[in-house]
Amino acid sequence: MSTEPWPTGYDLIHLETVDSTSSEAARRAPTLAGPTWIVADAQTAARGRRGRPWATPAGNFNATLVMRPQAGADQVALRSFVASLALYDAFVAASGRPEAFALKWPNDVLLNGGKVAGILLESVGAGGVPDHLAIGIGVNLMHAPRPDQVEPHALTPVSLMDETGASVTPGEFIALLAPAFAAYERQLTTFGFAPIREAWLARAARLGEVITARTGTDETTGTFETVDATGQLVLSTPKGPRRIAAADVFF
Amino acid sequence: MTKHPHDADVAFIKALAELLQENELTELEVMREYAESDSLNVRVSRQQPAMAMPAMAPQQAVSIPAPAAAPAAAPAEAAPAASDDPAQHPGAVTSPMVGTVYLQPEPGASSFVSVGATVTEGQTLLIIEAMKTMNQIPAPRAGTVKRILVEDGSPVEFGAPLMIIE
Repeated sequence: MSTEPWPTGYDLIHLETVDSTSSEAARRAPTLAGPTWIVADAQTAARGRRGRPWATPAGNFNATLVMRPQAGADQVALRSFVASLALYDAFVAASGRPEAFALKWPNDVLLNGGKVAGILLESVGAGGVPDHLAIGIGVNLMHAPRPDQVEPHALTPVSLMDETGASVTPGEFIALLAPAFAAYERQLTTFGFAPIREAWLARAARLGEVITARTGTDETTGTFETVDATGQLVLSTPKGPRRIAAADVFF
Repeated sequence: MTKHPHDADVAFIKALAELLQENELTELEVMREYAESDSLNVRVSRQQPAMAMPAMAPQQAVSIPAPAAAPAAAPAEAAPAASDDPAQHPGAVTSPMVGTVYLQPEPGASSFVSVGATVTEGQTLLIIEAMKTMNQIPAPRAGTVKRILVEDGSPVEFGAPLMIIE
């Protein structure tokens, strides 16, 4: 499956059970020597975006990468794209099925149009420079929740096993994901967002099609033109182009 | 020390210039704090056009002072008249990014802080989300929450004042 070696400079911590890998990341952040992947077999209090629950049945992948990017908050948020690209590459390496996967702004990886993984980034920091960033990644390797267990209008949950027949353990998956992340991260810190943006757009679902971006207070429907140089979603609408920094995207 | 690439600065200044145009302002000044002794001061100003503005060539002067480590107190002194602009308030906590504000840790939960609350340095005031990154904004200093200038779920621009803490 993978011939890439473990990335230099990254640590790996494996836990059998933890409340949440991202909570563990926050606890460990003050004493980190370098970027560290925390992988847990089971989480007792896993969480998704804005407090949404995230189920973690045995055999699925639960991990958080905690790191200290030396950059402003706007640059740190670009790790959404880095993480989703790395996840995409890991899936393709695991399944050999590049055509089955696509990206949805900003960081969802779709498998046959369904939700196979979730990424949640949390940063803490004063003066615009985050002290640390925790990138939580959950992957439905073996099991997906039933459609009635997720929110209405959410993407259909799918698992890698059900959709592609690929049987991948969490240990095998981190061995694919960590080198992929490190490579894209190096690209971002060396060359800036441009090559990441280009790679992301090449894998984007629904580019040029009409999509809807929903925030807490607003909803915008328009043609998905591009992602701009700061990572914002650009929709063309009858009132002109709209740039969107935070939203849930619906097809 | 933080490195903020030149390109990002140029993009930021361009965005300010656009903001100036769109809102028909004459001057806009922003100070970005990257780290303790690493900041960027930008002042963008333009002359009010005497006649209808040409669509292509806006008149604007962009001045970028050298990124000197000026003490934070300087801008307040520079303003001769008392300003109502909360962004100019010395107790203003400003947004480090473009995004959406959340005043609660999750929907239905109580707010991180409310007006009148005493906060300690580093205490989380609110979250700004951009690109699924939840950025917890801590109190830069201990004090009292005097004003909350943003609504839950509302969009904020870079540098926008979020709260006043004194």
